[in-house]
Amino acid sequence: MNRTDRPIANPIVVLREEFDDWAVLFNPDTAAAVGINPVGVAIWKRMDGKRSLKEIVLEIKTSFEDAPEAALEEITAFVDKLAEHGYVGYELKDDTDHRTI
Amino acid sequence: MLMRTPRTVDIEITARCNLRCRYCYFFNNPAVVYRDLPADEWLKFFDELESLGVMNVTMAGGEPFIRDDLPALLEGLVRNRMRFSLLSNGALIDDEIAAFIASTRRCEYVQVSVDGSCAQTHDSCRGKGSFDRAIRGIRTLQRHRVNAAVRVTIHRNNVNDLENIAHLLLEELDLPGFSTNSAGYLGTCRLNAADVLLNRQERQVAMATLLRLTQKYNGRISASAGPLSEGRMWRRMQEAWAQGAPAFPNGGRLTACGCPSSKIAVRADGAIVPCNMLAHMELGRINQDRLLEVWQHSSALNQLRRRHTTPLTEFEFCAGCSYTPYCTGNCPGLAYTLTGKVDHPSPDACLRRFLEEGGTIV
Repeated sequence: MNRTDRPIANPIVVLREEFDDWAVLFNPDTAAAVGINPVGVAIWKRMDGKRSLKEIVLEIKTSFEDAPEAALEEITAFVDKLAEHGYVGYELKDDTDHRTI
Repeated sequence: MLMRTPRTVDIEITARCNLRCRYCYFFNNPAVVYRDLPADEWLKFFDELESLGVMNVTMAGGEPFIRDDLPALLEGLVRNRMRFSLLSNGALIDDEIAAFIASTRRCEYVQVSVDGSCAQTHDSCRGKGSFDRAIRGIRTLQRHRVNAAVRVTIHRNNVNDLENIAHLLLEELDLPGFSTNSAGYLGTCRLNAADVLLNRQERQVAMATLLRLTQKYNGRISASAGPLSEGRMWRRMQEAWAQGAPAFPNGGRLTACGCPSSKIAVRADGAIVPCNMLAHMELGRINQDRLLEVWQHSSALNQLRRRHTTPLTEFEFCAGCSYTPYCTGNCPGLAYTLTGKVDHPSPDACLRRFLEEGGTIV
């Protein structure tokens, strides 16, 4: 099984959105919580295991006019950080050769 | 700052209790309907809490462990991605339920009330046998590695037992810490006020003892209300006044407390209220009114949130008081039960009155 480039939000994690469009990601299993800005919220909502990271970046660039040039690097770092702390995983691809001889 | 939805919901999951403590805030409140809801009502409500991103539920009562369906209710919280805490007298905690709680991995803590270092003190207000059962409950939680928290409610019968209580909890039971409060003029306590409420001298003893003990035990004793909290706050207020310091950032207005911006409560009968201490203020009813609507648009709740804009100088009670720039007016629940008004400073927490009665700050 290999990791795809399609991040998926940990379904146990709660997204708590606030009035200012910032939000808190809360993992009830660990009680860990982290604050994320509106761009982070938009990224979180797109991590459905179907979109690739590049596709997410493209959508973010379209949605946020002031997205920086280095959006891919920044978003990748953000997602990696979330993955490191268990908020995000990646869809797995089954590369096994199931043929029998 | 107001949150878009409540982060925490305090639920009185039952109106039943196995004890009848002499200073219980819960019973004998004429505004409360003492009726339990069936589990399916609560489970439906928990689904709604999940949709709002509520993070924590605190279950109190009554005595939450008296409900046979408590595991099903806790499973409902777990299923809906929440963590939980339970407030208990400890008597009904056995291995089975402690193991279940541990298995959920979602329990913040189970708080057990311990009001004495021995049965004589503890049982004086809680009833015969309750001390042994509370301690057994704590040990059961510890055995199952459930975070056992302890609350000590200070009253006339245990004010001279605080040193021994700290020894029992922090040394014999090896708890990381415990919190304190004092009996307040609410519920059953109103009927027994003369026997249980601290008078000025006892309050002073409690403050001095707790301030000393919290140093001895390196901060392992905490309080958000009651003598320890008052002792700290009043000392700061007196020092600020003596130095002519500017007003505290939250001083001079009815800024206490901030709970309605982040949490809300539900009574055992399903009435939504701002706080268990303001149980008369019905804002709606679970599964009939949408919690989000109540949270964001209830005029009574929003008025309570605006309480912090009211200057203390508006109150005759505060006229001429030098401490108003440093005072928050304290608990609206106690203000209501003592004065009949929510929008009023709580006389119970008045430093000037304490000093006028002969009290001193150590």
